[in-house]
Amino acid sequence: MLKNLNIWFVSSLLISLTVIIPILTVFSSFFENTTNYFDILKNTFLFEYTLNSFCLLVSVLSLTFIIGTCSAYLVSFYEFPLSNFFKWALILSFAVPPYIYAYSLTAFFENYGTAYTILKNLFGEGNYNTHIPKFDGMLGSILSISFSLFGYVYILARASFLYQSQNLIDLGKNLGFSNFRSFYSVILPSARPAIVAGLSLVAMETLAEFGAVDFFSINTLTTGIYNSWIAFDDLAFANQLSFFLLLFIFALFILENLSRKKAKYHFNSRGGFKRKEKLKLTRHKALLAFTFCFFIFFMSFLFPLSQMLYWTIKFPENLFDLKIMELFLNTIYLVFLSSIILILFSLISNYGNRVSNNKMLNIFSTLSISGYAIPGVILAVAFITFVAWFDDNIIKTLGFLSIKKIFFGSILGLVLVYFIRFYSLAFNGIKSGYEKINIYVDESAYLLGYSKRKTFMNIHIPFLRNSLLFVGILVSLEIIRELPITLILRPFNFETFATTAYISASEDLLEAAAVPSLFLILIAALFIMISSKYILRDNNE
Amino acid sequence: MSKNFFEINDVTFSIGGKNKVNDVNISIENEGDIICILGPSGIGKTTMLRTIAGLEKIKKGQIILKNKIISSSKIHLEPEKRNIALSFQENSLFPHYTVNKNIHLGVKKNSLNNKKIESKEIIKILNIESILDKYPHQISAGESQRASLARSLISQPDLLLLDEPLSNVDQSFKEDIQVALKQILKENKISTIVVTHDSYEAFYLGSKCALILDNEVKQFDDPYNVYHFPNSIQVVNFLNRGILLPAKVTGGNSLENDDLGIIKGKFIKHYPTGSKVQLLLQPEDLEHDDDSNLKLEVVDRKFRGTNFIYTLKTPSNRLIPVAVHTHHWEQHEVNEKFGIKRPIELEHIVCF
Repeated sequence: MLKNLNIWFVSSLLISLTVIIPILTVFSSFFENTTNYFDILKNTFLFEYTLNSFCLLVSVLSLTFIIGTCSAYLVSFYEFPLSNFFKWALILSFAVPPYIYAYSLTAFFENYGTAYTILKNLFGEGNYNTHIPKFDGMLGSILSISFSLFGYVYILARASFLYQSQNLIDLGKNLGFSNFRSFYSVILPSARPAIVAGLSLVAMETLAEFGAVDFFSINTLTTGIYNSWIAFDDLAFANQLSFFLLLFIFALFILENLSRKKAKYHFNSRGGFKRKEKLKLTRHKALLAFTFCFFIFFMSFLFPLSQMLYWTIKFPENLFDLKIMELFLNTIYLVFLSSIILILFSLISNYGNRVSNNKMLNIFSTLSISGYAIPGVILAVAFITFVAWFDDNIIKTLGFLSIKKIFFGSILGLVLVYFIRFYSLAFNGIKSGYEKINIYVDESAYLLGYSKRKTFMNIHIPFLRNSLLFVGILVSLEIIRELPITLILRPFNFETFATTAYISASEDLLEAAAVPSLFLILIAALFIMISSKYILRDNNE
Repeated sequence: MSKNFFEINDVTFSIGGKNKVNDVNISIENEGDIICILGPSGIGKTTMLRTIAGLEKIKKGQIILKNKIISSSKIHLEPEKRNIALSFQENSLFPHYTVNKNIHLGVKKNSLNNKKIESKEIIKILNIESILDKYPHQISAGESQRASLARSLISQPDLLLLDEPLSNVDQSFKEDIQVALKQILKENKISTIVVTHDSYEAFYLGSKCALILDNEVKQFDDPYNVYHFPNSIQVVNFLNRGILLPAKVTGGNSLENDDLGIIKGKFIKHYPTGSKVQLLLQPEDLEHDDDSNLKLEVVDRKFRGTNFIYTLKTPSNRLIPVAVHTHHWEQHEVNEKFGIKRPIELEHIVCF
């Protein structure tokens, strides 16, 4: 290992270790003593927490599979009114985090809510409340999470459908298959790895979901972790719960990894690839396809957007009460600072891995990218645990001043945990850019007299420009929507659109949550529109 | 002090901890000489080039360029400091630069070098003028290989390493480029090591050829000797230009085979009378003569442009290749009898 010791190797190693520490903290907590909260919980709510998490997971996976796959199939294989618009409009659902969807759902269907107002305006006064369905509790959580996350399945399924060879479809026709039979016996099995990969992402996000389930008062393992820390001040038990959740998530992570390998194999064997001609739908078939896609687009984006817009207009005082510019600047400040740090360090780490070609470093990097699989709540708790332990056992023993203030309730601590949480997104995004640079390119540069630093600056960075932009936008989008980490670690009096919306909603002031939610959706939608051509990858970049 | 321009002394070449070619001793005597490394795929030829370029390290032996040790178990001069250019078999152009920019990135290096290579001339010779403004993903594999070759040449290296430089180039261009390439290298005194699996390319370009077989250099000699005087059965099998027939030495300049009878010629190595040997018989060794009483059955006929290669079956069921000019007065079909001129006299007798 010592012979590989160079600045790139050391930097990569340090970055990986920084990200791994909270993960190790969660694992190490398994052996610690806890308060009697565990006994209380074991005898009371643990079964309910686990059952709720499981129900939520299965329902969300089923719904996202149906919505994501069907919409991807329609826009990939058929031409119908606005099909090209739906192709990218469906990914706008990413702009609406589950907790904002939950606010919209409640605001619309609650007693004397928007639905009631509409009916009253149409038909006059009446007792409509009893007839309006209530989408709250478990059902509300399932709908909120599904409409917010189906985009993962949609994007990956669509990418897979897009590169399915026409030969495969022709083969189905040749065997006399109907369109439906071709779909389930030829097209769907071929896209299976991509769909599974999309569902794994949905699963990770669902298990990690905090805002929506908390709003609907559904107790899951994630809210259990938050409660054991907030209500019982039991960090060790919060970590132990996290450990169980982490094991489950790691199993999903491995599944996702395995399926992605299959997907790669799929793309490599594109022999005889023939681009598909889209089938033009007419009359009732076109209308059906259009209605389905419009319904999904409406439900996932237009509905929450218009609900928030409606309330913003209806209660304009909230717009003026709120320090919009301050919230905007805070959000953008966090987004830019975190994105730049994430991109810079992920770039260095990727290059360090590339030039060092060291097995140990590879293992550390692989471990470090599992941060994305860990719910934000767990990461925040693990971070606090580690800093507290480090401060008590190392810093104070050495006689230095406490470092807790530097990391708790500070921008530094917040950005550091964002870094750990979203490191895998940035690392993998840049890695996929790097995979397009043949290793011979580096070697050619060395042979032309370029040093490692010069190769990095003059050859790699210009080539990776687009990847860096894409990763930056992706990370920004995640940070804009992120809630639990910001909620736990933000400095006193430092609010973002996400935290302001959450705080208003948790105080039952949904009208007040509308303004920050609306701004959050608009900013996120703007980022999505800028990056849509990269996300959809139509050019096979 | 080494008297050779470039030397590999007792080096074992390895990659990923696995030894590929052991105890190699080859050299380039004078500046501007070209040597070729020939061998089957996967034997370690590319590893040798990568090691010489400094992209891999060695644990044993030493590599010397211009009297300076550039690799040994203790010394490893970084690739960027060697002034050795390597033209990869794979596409190694910088993907975000045009072909023109890619090629001229090589120019900056060693501006003090006394070699003066005109980039325009190289671009013209390699026939890449039309692709200068294109990006690497817009050109073919052959064009990319030629652009990479141009970049290496323009960088005016002390030692140029070419890994299968024309493997993706169209056959119609290939010979022209081989001629032009050899001329540029000679005129500019660029010492070069060419790796190839094409023996004709190696024989044309190299003043010496190293044959890598069974993890070692089997023969390092000039092309004529490698072809006519292979030093082992493995070399014969690799070149695939003849067969080995059992024979018995009958005197100082003759031997006898059960099927062909007495064969005369000059032994390149002494064998005592009566010893049993394996005689190397190459397609050019036997002559067609239908008046001869030695007639063998034709089992196959391959058209090779200027020649037909007949495969003849002997009474003891051995298959012998015989080359006949395609304009030869009489052709034979499969199953016909083919006469062999007697007495059989060979220029050199190579036995094992």
